[in-house]
Amino acid sequence: MSPTTYSAASGLQHEEALLFEHAHEDATSIALPGIAGDACPELAAFARQTPALIPGLSEPEAVRHFVRLSQWNHGIETGFYPLGSCTMKYNPRVNEQVVRLPGLAGLHPEQPDDSVQGVLALLFELQQWLGEISGLPHVTLQPAAGAHGELAGMMVIRAYHDARGDTTRRKVLVPDSAHGTNPASAVLAGLETVEIKSGADGRIDLEVLKAHLDDDVAALMLTNPNTTGMFESDIAEICELVHAAGGMVYGDGANLNALVGLARPGDMGIDCLHINVHKTFSTPHGGGGPGAGPVAVNDALAPFLPVPRIERHDNTFRVVRKDAKSIGAIFGSIGQVGVLLRAAAYIAAFGRNHLHRIAEDAVLNANYVLNRLKDAYHVPFPGLCKHECLLTDALQEKHGVKTLDIAKRLIDLGMHPMTVYFPLIVHGAMLIEPTETEARETLDTFCDAMLEIAAACEAGDTEALHAAPLIPFRRRLDETQAARKPVLVWPLN
Amino acid sequence: MRFLPHTDADRQSMLQSMGLDDVRQLFADIPAGFHLAPGALDLPDALAEADIVRKFTRAAESNRHAGSTRCFLGGGTYHHFVPAVVDYIISRGEVLTAYTPYQPEIAQGTLQTLFEFQTMVARLLGMEVANASMYDAATAVAEAALMAKRITRKSRIVMAASVNPAYREVTRNYLSQQEFDYVEIAAAGFRTDVAALAAGVDDATAAVVVQYPDFFGSVHDLAPLRAACDAHKALLVVCFSDASAFGLIEPPGSYGADIVCGSGQALGIPMGFGGPHIGLFACREKYVRQMPGRLCGMTNDVDGKRGFVLTLSTREQHIRREKATSNICSNQGLMCTANACYMTLMGDAGLKEVARHSAAALQALVSSLPAGVTAAGGAHYNETVLSFADQAARDRVLAAGRAQDIFAGIPLEQMDAQYDKTHGNKHLLVATTEMIGAQDVADYMKMLEAAR
Amino acid sequence: MTIPADLKYTKEHEWVRIEGDTATFGISDHAQEALGDIVFVELPEIGRELAPGDAFAVVESVKAVSDVYAPVGGEIIEVNEALEGEPEKINTDSYGAGWIVRVKINGGSGELLDAEAYATFLKE
Repeated sequence: MSPTTYSAASGLQHEEALLFEHAHEDATSIALPGIAGDACPELAAFARQTPALIPGLSEPEAVRHFVRLSQWNHGIETGFYPLGSCTMKYNPRVNEQVVRLPGLAGLHPEQPDDSVQGVLALLFELQQWLGEISGLPHVTLQPAAGAHGELAGMMVIRAYHDARGDTTRRKVLVPDSAHGTNPASAVLAGLETVEIKSGADGRIDLEVLKAHLDDDVAALMLTNPNTTGMFESDIAEICELVHAAGGMVYGDGANLNALVGLARPGDMGIDCLHINVHKTFSTPHGGGGPGAGPVAVNDALAPFLPVPRIERHDNTFRVVRKDAKSIGAIFGSIGQVGVLLRAAAYIAAFGRNHLHRIAEDAVLNANYVLNRLKDAYHVPFPGLCKHECLLTDALQEKHGVKTLDIAKRLIDLGMHPMTVYFPLIVHGAMLIEPTETEARETLDTFCDAMLEIAAACEAGDTEALHAAPLIPFRRRLDETQAARKPVLVWPLN
Repeated sequence: MRFLPHTDADRQSMLQSMGLDDVRQLFADIPAGFHLAPGALDLPDALAEADIVRKFTRAAESNRHAGSTRCFLGGGTYHHFVPAVVDYIISRGEVLTAYTPYQPEIAQGTLQTLFEFQTMVARLLGMEVANASMYDAATAVAEAALMAKRITRKSRIVMAASVNPAYREVTRNYLSQQEFDYVEIAAAGFRTDVAALAAGVDDATAAVVVQYPDFFGSVHDLAPLRAACDAHKALLVVCFSDASAFGLIEPPGSYGADIVCGSGQALGIPMGFGGPHIGLFACREKYVRQMPGRLCGMTNDVDGKRGFVLTLSTREQHIRREKATSNICSNQGLMCTANACYMTLMGDAGLKEVARHSAAALQALVSSLPAGVTAAGGAHYNETVLSFADQAARDRVLAAGRAQDIFAGIPLEQMDAQYDKTHGNKHLLVATTEMIGAQDVADYMKMLEAAR
Repeated sequence: MTIPADLKYTKEHEWVRIEGDTATFGISDHAQEALGDIVFVELPEIGRELAPGDAFAVVESVKAVSDVYAPVGGEIIEVNEALEGEPEKINTDSYGAGWIVRVKINGGSGELLDAEAYATFLKE
């Protein structure tokens, strides 16, 4: 197979030096309106003695530098991005437009409530919508990311148990298929985690769960659909068992895209759920953030939610900054407002009548891919998948080809690889999440590429797989060198 | 539905390829009792794009915003100017719509930008290394306290009460989940009590946390704290709210800080009603393996060409799980790009000019105050506390300001209820930036006449 | 893969060389191979008392972390500081230059396997 069949690149690719290699330390492209005078005289004693050596570029040079860098990236606007567990869907441009309105971007968080009624109304409405969508009516918008939502949720659950005098409940059950943030967040909330082994079908084994339930259990952390892409069909029994033992069920909403508008975690018995708006509700990932992780809870947990939060009295909105039972603030402001507003715009675009079509098309697309690939790749847990499907490299490994090779080869074929080596419970995992915003043509291109790779393995034509990627302007990078002798900043001289 | 590419015919043929005829068959593993009928949720009907624009425009226009007022509000968020180029760069699809750079070969743009960001943050703060950012300043301070415990294996945190109330509250709430001894040392009026803080450090202390310039805008020599930390093997954690200060004043690193953290919002990020902003986080190189958050490092590819990767990820939750240095699984990546782009447009010269201007505006303001209004004395950068005769006088000023499109300042008790008890509700926290010109200061003075 | 006959092993893949009242600990060839390129070793402080089974060091590769457990009890008298600059010595010479600590034996011991038993254990 020819590595030049498809290309992620278009036009020229330029090498671009580091800023520190452009020698313009005295330049600045900023001209300020200007006020005469100086700082207060007492500040002179604190004057900076050594320059920071921030390299300044003129505006045309700066633009070219960052535009060139941007062109080395693959984004969802560039091409297919089927990262499992990440929900890389199209990010609507209208959302970018509305959050940049001066009346939203130019608000100071400490302005009086009566000067910010418009934004408070939008945020309050979002709280209501997320409560309705999750089936858990009380919502905090404060958590800055999914993992931060997990922390908030675990703190809320702990506060609930403590308030009932149930202060020895410190054990949190976490399936071995869970995201790494789950155990890390529970520990940050002062709780101890116990790993539960998944059953042979990739789901929670009720007998294993029962064996772990006792008076020490504060919560079960559950991702549903789980990270193998399968729905935990025993969800009602799971929740009943945990509740009967006095524990709470925490839902990791990372995979809400499979359910949105179609079924509600709250109806299933989940008590507390964080929602990754940067996944389900299309806010852009920005190369790693910012996201937002609002948390929705039931009546029992509601008093413990963080402050500040927004309340409505008659038709005016106010920010509540103190509340006796609340776990208090876990973030410096009301939340990542710009991210939250984009999510509100996405929900508004689908509305009551179309919201379920997100989950329908997302699940349709994942099953379509699974169906096309299931003979060429090993499927560890056969059956219906939800919004993502899980394959492994078991059939390719015997030809000396591993998941990593397949992933890198996909780059040469013009698309971003799937999530690799997660979940950890499967050897050589490839987790594929196409999302609802991909056309059938794109899915077919991806499936054709995957089938071409599988066929090359069978034919013993594996050279391009091991050499991949060949097309991008950087090839496999030496992560060992980076970790052994870390160079995290450009040296001063 | 304009975001969904499939036609109904596409859906049918895709289903047929799987031997199905109804999409709901794909949800057969969800117990029937949990299925919602289409349209069952209590949400408004779908809006067309034009209606979304109208809805948000109406909401936006009912707010009073910094673009058409004079904003003297600070307290952790500042109305600095954002050059058009910054927003243009972070709006580009390749920057905006990329994920975490887990496939470095096709994410070198994000990665090189992060490396440049880390370098510029370290240089601005006078520190050896910086990470690829935290959520915000408040969570960065909390993570710094947790990190200090990991390094020193001690659990007493001495916090200056002159640290931003939001940073203190978030830190207190994080630490309350663990075994920590958390102590706050009162300020001396509207100034950090450096001597009392130094005296508060003992052998059990993991870290002393001080803000520089402090929450009240006051600037202090931190050398006594470095000495106290050395004497008791504690770490010096310095936080900050307005990173533009370090274009003008000595950076925290010059005092020998071990960990420096704070907000990068001032460097090219709009106020946005509180977010998304960015937490900057820097430390000494020897502590880097105890650092929370992502790190980008330099390396080579198989052809020997220079490139960048995320590194030292064994600290992180996806590998160390319950033993990770933090549960954080993201960074404020887009805001890193905004900061990097802003600093590049500025350079040392521009950063210094922004800082001089911001500080000069405050000096112009405090040096012409009318009788009955006083400003805290001593070294200040661009923020200070104004005191009035009583609450009525202050509130008259706030009202007069609103009538003249001036946000005059933040009532201190709004950010921390304890000021009710200790100071009376007669103070305003006032901040200036390069957006405040001579005419704005003159208008502010006129407004202050309402205090009489 | 090598399994020297003169050493004892644990099921956690540490090796121990006992000479008089001192013992040297490291990780086995199998362990270094499973971890991949070692990028960092977190060494303990000299003087620390270890009971058998105590975690005393951390060995990291790019994408994996492993605690190292004491095969026998004792007080740490020497650590292999060369690993701080060259952790790859564990990859290239896990039983020699890649040793991790030396202890003065003063406690009991956990379950130790001889080379043959360890080889059998690896096959299982």
